[in-house]
Amino acid sequence: MANSMPIAHPLNVRIADRASVGTMSIPWYIWICMFSVVSAVVGTAWDISWHESIGRDSFWTPAHMFIYLSGVLAGLSCGYLILATTFQKDSPLRDVSISMWGFRGPLGAFICAWGAVGMIAAGPFDNWWHNSYGLDVKILSPPHVLLALGMTGIRFGTLVMVLAAMNRAQGAYRLKLERVLYFAVAFVMGMTVGIIQELTNRVFMHGSTFYMVMMFAAPVVIAMVAWVSDDRWAATIMTAIFTAVELAFVWILPLFPAETKLGPVYQHITHLVPPNFPMLLIVPAIVFDLLRRRTGTWSRWAQATTLGAAFLVSFIAAQWPFADFLMSPGSRNAFFVTNNYPYAVPPTSPWVLNQFVPTEHSFAQFWVRMAIALFAAIVMTRIGMAWGEWMRRIQR
Amino acid sequence: MTLGLKGRGLATALFLLVTALPLAAHVGSPDVYYEGSAGPYRLFVTVVVPQVIPGVAEIQVRAESADVRSIQIVPMRLTGPGSNFPPTPDQAQVSKDDPQFFTGSLWLMESGALQVRVMADGAKGKGELSVPVASFAQRSLPMPKPLAGLLVGFMLLLAVGGISIAGAGAREGNLESGKTPGPANLRRARIVMAVTAVLVVGLLLLSKSWWGIEDTNYQQRVNFYKPPLALTTLENGNRLVIRAQGQDPAWSKRVNMGGVLPDHNHLMHLFLISLPGMDHLWHLHPERLEGGAFADDLPSMPAGKYQVFADIVDERGFPWTLVGTVDLPEINGKPMTGDDSSWSGAPLQPSQPGSNSSPLPDGGRIVWERASGPLKANEAMDFKFTVQDKDGKPVPDLEPYMGMAGHAEFVRSDFTVFAHVHPSGSAPMASLQLAQAGLTGDSSAMVMSPMSGMAMSGPMAMAGSAPSGPLAPVVGFPYGFPQPGDYRIFVQVKRAGQVETGVFDAHVEPAPATPSK
Repeated sequence: MANSMPIAHPLNVRIADRASVGTMSIPWYIWICMFSVVSAVVGTAWDISWHESIGRDSFWTPAHMFIYLSGVLAGLSCGYLILATTFQKDSPLRDVSISMWGFRGPLGAFICAWGAVGMIAAGPFDNWWHNSYGLDVKILSPPHVLLALGMTGIRFGTLVMVLAAMNRAQGAYRLKLERVLYFAVAFVMGMTVGIIQELTNRVFMHGSTFYMVMMFAAPVVIAMVAWVSDDRWAATIMTAIFTAVELAFVWILPLFPAETKLGPVYQHITHLVPPNFPMLLIVPAIVFDLLRRRTGTWSRWAQATTLGAAFLVSFIAAQWPFADFLMSPGSRNAFFVTNNYPYAVPPTSPWVLNQFVPTEHSFAQFWVRMAIALFAAIVMTRIGMAWGEWMRRIQR
Repeated sequence: MTLGLKGRGLATALFLLVTALPLAAHVGSPDVYYEGSAGPYRLFVTVVVPQVIPGVAEIQVRAESADVRSIQIVPMRLTGPGSNFPPTPDQAQVSKDDPQFFTGSLWLMESGALQVRVMADGAKGKGELSVPVASFAQRSLPMPKPLAGLLVGFMLLLAVGGISIAGAGAREGNLESGKTPGPANLRRARIVMAVTAVLVVGLLLLSKSWWGIEDTNYQQRVNFYKPPLALTTLENGNRLVIRAQGQDPAWSKRVNMGGVLPDHNHLMHLFLISLPGMDHLWHLHPERLEGGAFADDLPSMPAGKYQVFADIVDERGFPWTLVGTVDLPEINGKPMTGDDSSWSGAPLQPSQPGSNSSPLPDGGRIVWERASGPLKANEAMDFKFTVQDKDGKPVPDLEPYMGMAGHAEFVRSDFTVFAHVHPSGSAPMASLQLAQAGLTGDSSAMVMSPMSGMAMSGPMAMAGSAPSGPLAPVVGFPYGFPQPGDYRIFVQVKRAGQVETGVFDAHVEPAPATPSK
């Protein structure tokens, strides 16, 4: 079937959503879940900066509190929502809920609750991991991945809740929900791009591995939002929000004083270390939106191939020279913050020396990985399209 | 004399060690005991190192005088990058019961040669000292069964819950309001659940494999820091050649035997102790050969099986003890010269209360000024020994033996613990020299000879001794037994050009209320 530009789904005009259309206001549980997601986003950025600046922490750091608050809020609100939908016979959500294990509730609420359980399980697991293998000084460890899975569950569940309400809505209310949707998707991309941040340091930006992992992380979300939203600039808007949130952390975190409380110290720290300057994903997002319009009548695979390849090429075209700039003295200021390093980065590190690190052994390997990057860009775009199409159909 | 350093601080520090097993690393005695001067203040410092790295070390500081108001502590690398910028120091907490006793916790973030700086402030102004700490992962913690059960429960809930949610979403997620799923929805739900189940199982298998890799990597780090094996060969009837072999393949690549530092004048301190009763001891000093091996022409020795402990300090200041055993025929060797020394006597009698007095060949004796009451594991103590002449009077002519008032070797009956301790404590002199070199000003009372690594005053001798004159007749060694059991303590001093060795046996009981390591 030839694909066309996303238009308002026919189902939308047939909906009768007593829970939302009547009031035309976004339901409380969506706000609480969005707040829960924001809490985890702030907590995670703060926690990473904390570990890079201060080093030592305890269970009771404010960053940890934000992260756990996210799990508690999502767990309690969605748990209540499920119980209320199950046991209140006149619940407005009863007709637009799914059933599982004898309970009823919105699909997104079940996913959020699953994420909250994952986050709770990650707590004792992570504590034992620290006691057994020492405090981890890296992001990727099995308990952290479980925590990230839990957080992803909450973000995905929130997204599904927003979508179900949006797909049932029309008019101004739908537009209102669509604005919430962009934030929800931007936070999902924060997850997929955030989990690989150890591989996306500027020192890797002239290697193929960087582009390969990015093609697994970014196009899928960008294609998804483009296919789920009615707006012709959906990918651009969502990526702009994603970039703005990242920039907020880049500029706000260094405003707080901090001193290192762990040794050995290789970098003198006076304030919270900001995250790296965001990647220029906005460029491929704009290209994606522009090309999406021109390829609207093509077959899905032809569209995915074109959009995926264009995404990779435009990303390389923007990020490769930008990486040169990030290595240059011109970027070492409060705007681009490339002169900020975690306390534990030795002065001999390529990061501090502003040297690119080759991630492949040979020219051939470089091109093999670039070929994999192209393949990933196309396939992940196609998956994102299918994901978006599925999400447009979510009603409950 | 017991310094009373046990207590809640230690209990806190040992919370990780509940299920720990005795481990032959450095050898079996990883905690650091140090006595020295921070400017005008005499301090006794204990560093209870964590068993996992990064982990929390417990620091205990006892001030000899009452005029110390505050103690700050901070960890750093011993040498190289990372030894320049200290993190913000921690304020050690003063004990409510004892105003001269301070405790604090420090995170040790990496393995290797670190130091703990101790800054004292009080009525006489400020002073600073540095304690070298060998930081290394010793083991990993087995998962307690209740926790394993809880996590398996969570895993099953998440796995089954995930499959169910995927199925419910596929079955009903796209249905319009009020509609019930038809056969097509149910079929799709079953397919989605089957696919999700495969994905979940795949994810779990992948995670298990990843966990295994992480565990293997960690175990490699643990093995890296296990005592290297001392591989010995006997050449020409009396020449013992010693080669080090790490317990991890990476050891020989990262530890350069050509770069070991002189530790009070010698690159290696070799101890040969007869098995099983410790009735003979040789303390020798092999020379380095080309290619990183060490060799020594042995003195005359009876045939038998000997335990080998060989102390070296690598170029980063990290102490290693090579461990092994060797079967020797009767050796007709050369007479001992220089700093080499030996002792022969009665074997260790386990669980027997040893004598506090050890006779010397010249008719004199060494007396252990031991407090009454049983010895306890994990208690920091100052082991004091008085050297007396044949008339029972303290000797006036004690002289430095390899630059210090004495050397003591603490050996457990099963050889799982070996510690070579000096009046300054359990850290080797070469590491101490690196640590003191980084201190600013002249706050340390130590006077170092840059070439020899010898300390001529301060902690090396007892208080009041002068660098050049005869030493006080009392020698003290700060140390704590790491685990209960039977120990033999060899105390070595020098008088009138002769090295004299006193031997004491000690039965050590488990530490009360705190688990033994």
